[in-house]
Amino acid sequence: MTTAVSDAHNEHDDHGPTKGIGRWLFSTNHKDIGTMYLVFSLTMFFIGGAMAMVIRSELAIPGLQFVHPEFFNQMTTMHALIMVFGAVMPAFVGLANWMIPLMIGAPDMALPRMNNWSFWILPIAFGMLLSTLLMPGGSPAGGWTMYPPLVLQTGDSFPFLIFSVHLMGLSSIMGAINVIVTIINMRSPHMSLLRMPMFVWTWLITAYLLIAVMPVLAGAVTMLLTDQFFGTSFFLAAGGGDPVMFQHIFWFFGHPEVYIMILPAFGVVSEIIPVFSRKPLFGHDSMVYAASCIAFLSFIVWAHHMFTVGMPLTGQLFFMFATMLIAVPTGVKIFNWIATMWRGAMTFETPMLFSLAFVFLFTIGGFSGLMLAVAPADVQYHDTYFVVAHFHYVLVPGSVFAIMAGAYYWLPKWTGYMYNETLGKVHFWASTIFVNLTFFPMHFLGLAGMPRRIPDYSTQFSDFNTMASIGAIGFGMSQLLFVWVLLTSRKGKKATAEVWDNPPGLEWTVPSPAPYHTFETPPEISEEDGVH
Amino acid sequence: MNEAQRKKDIRRTTLILVVIAATFFFGFIAMGVLRA
Repeated sequence: MTTAVSDAHNEHDDHGPTKGIGRWLFSTNHKDIGTMYLVFSLTMFFIGGAMAMVIRSELAIPGLQFVHPEFFNQMTTMHALIMVFGAVMPAFVGLANWMIPLMIGAPDMALPRMNNWSFWILPIAFGMLLSTLLMPGGSPAGGWTMYPPLVLQTGDSFPFLIFSVHLMGLSSIMGAINVIVTIINMRSPHMSLLRMPMFVWTWLITAYLLIAVMPVLAGAVTMLLTDQFFGTSFFLAAGGGDPVMFQHIFWFFGHPEVYIMILPAFGVVSEIIPVFSRKPLFGHDSMVYAASCIAFLSFIVWAHHMFTVGMPLTGQLFFMFATMLIAVPTGVKIFNWIATMWRGAMTFETPMLFSLAFVFLFTIGGFSGLMLAVAPADVQYHDTYFVVAHFHYVLVPGSVFAIMAGAYYWLPKWTGYMYNETLGKVHFWASTIFVNLTFFPMHFLGLAGMPRRIPDYSTQFSDFNTMASIGAIGFGMSQLLFVWVLLTSRKGKKATAEVWDNPPGLEWTVPSPAPYHTFETPPEISEEDGVH
Repeated sequence: MNEAQRKKDIRRTTLILVVIAATFFFGFIAMGVLRA
């Protein structure tokens, strides 16, 4: 445990939050903004989840049951956009807002007013995107990848889609700039870069990825917009354009985007596993180098999403081997988490359970990713439910479980109360059982040839689809338990400053709940102190 | 580090990052223009 202590917050109790709605509308406080991000993300998680329920209900048995195929396509498109940009990314930004200043001993984010702006853009962006559900012709239905020429047939909702994606990108870029500037300039004295906690490190790397790729997405959708409304032909073959170029540009954004959603998850899990194993993180520096390697490699593998589009053999070989190479730094991370647990005095509170499930189940998603990386095999897997199974294993028991783990881990620091551990464990077991019931059968469906993004299917696929639908409804219901845990958390016993058993890090040196202002005077950390 | 120096550093880092983001945005559009 570090000896760094800050009593500065005790002298600033008079600087509490303003009363009423103004506190939230005009807040520049990193904790308030973090809370808003997390609440927004949870709301989007349920809206996107409701769309998943529509999808799985329709697919529960063969034939068309509940929705028109066009509406089904709108649901798959909107579900993806909402979950990626509205649920997972803002959840990690919320965790970053709350925890990065506390972990590095900074009083707030470096650019607090821009922080407010980054957040409030999001409800506008998603309000605009969701409003398309009420339009004649409905929401975008061409898939979240927005491939032309299909996306150019979208109709009235097209400009809304493009503008909302622009706003999401703007919000992410501003958030990323804020994270980098804060980490580079606001660390407490003696916290060198390699002494930073892993969550801060993974977020620093993620923020650089965001700054590099979100403008690329913005550029791609800007070109779509001009193709649609201003007579250009960037992607229109009839005008001399190249629709495949869009796919290259999109996946130059899209593949690093995958790591944007998983690197902070690595950071969360790297914080939790050592605490509940009562051992320091094994190979902290190698974790940093591994995350940096993953970030670099994420830029040179994009065309593995496009093996079936056609490319020279050398291109296929390059992208295949480069993709497989990512398994090496990822393996370093998995090894280090297991080595951290090895002979540790482990206990299995809810954050640890979610973290352990993350390690096992994310690895399954990683392995199916390796299978998809094999170019000749990908011709068979492409656009099947195998791909759906793969990326849901990475994103649900991967990113979402890490977010849940982080929420349970830091909740006592945020609220000042211990959550109901029994309910937390019920939430964990229900989520884990149902997430596997939902997504594991999809591997078999994909291998048997069931294509993705279809509202109906051949009867040979019905058993696994029914299983997946039952699992999805169970998983959705299980998440209501999480809301119940949050709502009843104030009934728990008061949390101490440390909350857990001797956790490392500056965030545990402030009282629980964390005061409105913390570290107004930078905490003193001696050179010998192990921050992490 | 004094506060004035920190503010200067924050401004400089922000500016560099904004330039990087703008370069990627306009760079990729420029690439599209050259190919189209």
